[in-house]
Amino acid sequence: MDAVEKANADRQKRWAKDQKIGEGTYAVVYRGREVATGRKVAIKKIKVGQFKDGLDMSAIREVKYLREMKHQNVIELLDVFSSKTNLNLVLEFLDTDLEAVIKDRSLVFLPADIKAWIAMTFRGLEFCHRNWILHRDLKPNNLLISANGQLKLADFGLARDFADPGYKMTCQVITRWYRPVELLFGCRYYSTAVDIWSVGCIFAELMLRIPYLPGESDLDQIKTTFRALGTPTDEEWPGYTKLPDYVSVGQFPKTPLRDLFTAATPECLNLLSKCLIYDPKKRISAKDALYHPYFSAMPYPSHPSKLPKPAKKESNRPLEEVDGNVEFDGPGPAVRANPPNKLKRKLSDSELGGRPIARKLDFTAM
Amino acid sequence: MANRVGASSWLRGTIVRKGGGSSIANSRTTTPQIQSTSTTIFGGGVKDPSGRTSEYYSADDQCPVCKSDRFLNPKLRLLVSACYHKMCESCIDRLFTLGPAPCPICNKTLRKLAFTPQTFEDLGVEKEVAVRRRIAKDFNKRQEDFPDIRSYNDYLEEVEEVTFNLINDIDIPETEARIAKYKQENIEVIRANHEREEQYAQYLKELEDAERQEREQRALELKRAEEEEREEREKGRQELIDKLETSTKDAAKLVARAKLEAQRRASSRTTSSVFVSSVKGRGRAAQAATVPDVPHVPLQDDWYAYEDKFTLRTNYDDPISEAVRRDREGIMRAGGYFVEQAWERALRSAVAGLEIAPLEGLHTTASSIPVLQHGDVPTSAT
Repeated sequence: MDAVEKANADRQKRWAKDQKIGEGTYAVVYRGREVATGRKVAIKKIKVGQFKDGLDMSAIREVKYLREMKHQNVIELLDVFSSKTNLNLVLEFLDTDLEAVIKDRSLVFLPADIKAWIAMTFRGLEFCHRNWILHRDLKPNNLLISANGQLKLADFGLARDFADPGYKMTCQVITRWYRPVELLFGCRYYSTAVDIWSVGCIFAELMLRIPYLPGESDLDQIKTTFRALGTPTDEEWPGYTKLPDYVSVGQFPKTPLRDLFTAATPECLNLLSKCLIYDPKKRISAKDALYHPYFSAMPYPSHPSKLPKPAKKESNRPLEEVDGNVEFDGPGPAVRANPPNKLKRKLSDSELGGRPIARKLDFTAM
Repeated sequence: MANRVGASSWLRGTIVRKGGGSSIANSRTTTPQIQSTSTTIFGGGVKDPSGRTSEYYSADDQCPVCKSDRFLNPKLRLLVSACYHKMCESCIDRLFTLGPAPCPICNKTLRKLAFTPQTFEDLGVEKEVAVRRRIAKDFNKRQEDFPDIRSYNDYLEEVEEVTFNLINDIDIPETEARIAKYKQENIEVIRANHEREEQYAQYLKELEDAERQEREQRALELKRAEEEEREEREKGRQELIDKLETSTKDAAKLVARAKLEAQRRASSRTTSSVFVSSVKGRGRAAQAATVPDVPHVPLQDDWYAYEDKFTLRTNYDDPISEAVRRDREGIMRAGGYFVEQAWERALRSAVAGLEIAPLEGLHTTASSIPVLQHGDVPTSAT
């Protein structure tokens, strides 16, 4: 055994894998713990063999950037080791994510709670940006929440560093609903402002409890955005009509944000509108946002430990660091059609033995 | 009860991607996932919890009968027949206005009124939901109605078989006879169970009402408490001013005493509110008293301490970024790209770490490495 293999084996021994939590196209996530301390961790096992071109790009990005960052609002990569042909990332274990919190209808958000979450998001984002890293996939699903309520940016699979002169960047990033208009118009040179737009959408979603700009296709996303915020004029955003994939989707009038966010304070709407400015140059930066009067106004942001959290018992879905494209094992909530040509219902003995009561489907409640 | 919850969530979490799989530039393999928006589809022609019915709609809809599509007729609306075939409204008008007529696809006799809106993309699901709904209405026995788990399982098995037969059109007449027989034999039980379900629904509604009332009550109490607190504070201040006016004692002492009193009052108030909220069983308000919220601190470290270590000029002689500055069309500018950021990054990287003391212990290891002087011969070489 040479020195490298030995070092790897030593690292591997520090962590113990427990049960599987979820599986995605490029990774399987396990619950695990540190052998020495018993501390809970999430182990993300990257499947290597499947890809012709070697390791998946997002795994490389994730390791590359997380290895360098340590901040209380960014998920911590504790270790990386290989087992057989697989690459394993040991990540901090986090209980839940902001999407689950937004979806849990039994929770009531106070204005102070929203302020705390947004402040933590901006703080994490400011840390990424000051280290010249764009996250490029901010959405509630990727904002994980630790047991003590701290919000952490996760999933750096689309992240990259920026500000290198003249390099083209891809515009096919950020989940559609959180994607700024300049990317939808195919802009290849962009900057930190793209992440700020996503935060703006998340901010609005926290207040509305439903996604703010749910476009059904890329074109529809542009329309949805313009319908909500009005079509930009050329003074408002100079030169946007010259962007590579520019299409005209018609004129929509500007409606004041106040019409939709009736209960928000003026400072709150001011910050939101600054996050959703069309011209990326005028959009607020993460640092400036942290100094915005919204955060210093009353009420103070809630203490992280007091922020609402979804009830534990419903968490039959894994809530750890997993990608959106994970298929959970076990019966999921999604409706699955019977294949029409499947003609005999199978009921094996093991099924009968394993589950004492057959599940009864109830349709009367509808 | 657990069964019931499981079954209704079976339908509630539906995510249907509209417009087929034709989103051209979807960069990720995921579609945005969300549970309850206007795009969420609920059971076959039924209402969702908010009372709306959502209809399935796709950009590539085409009427299988007259082949007209959404391009030719933007108002195209496809309805589903009793035999689960789709056709457009104008075809239905044309074929069935003069009374019952055979289905152009399968020849089954259809009536105009028996067409329903489509809710699921897959008509198989549409049918299954409709069949299951129908079956659940009559086959509503529960585990309590059976002597042991074995017979309950047998019953569920039978229900499932009947459902399966109906869905897949196997032995329809025989199955219908079976259903009719079951209905006749169990009239009493079915009615009793219906009543029980209604009662339960009623109970849930009452519970919800009570909860809402409690919430309102709590909000009211909170408002009242705030009002009282303000009045008290006002009164305290007035008293203090009066005292300062009339009393001959030391002014500072009076102020200090008044402050102390106010503090005592405030603390007694919070403890009483903790008691109230813990009785209500809501942990949140109770916690509020124990962990105080802290004011917002924009940045919690001193990264920007390097700010005075460099000045960024407006222009540099930088051949690499020449292309960016020559950007005549303004494409880079419109996208929010700043050349200045590249310069700032270079400068910051240069100054970061200045004035930070070297790590402890580094010195000793450094001195232990023999420093080769000019002309020396490394000892290992000899």
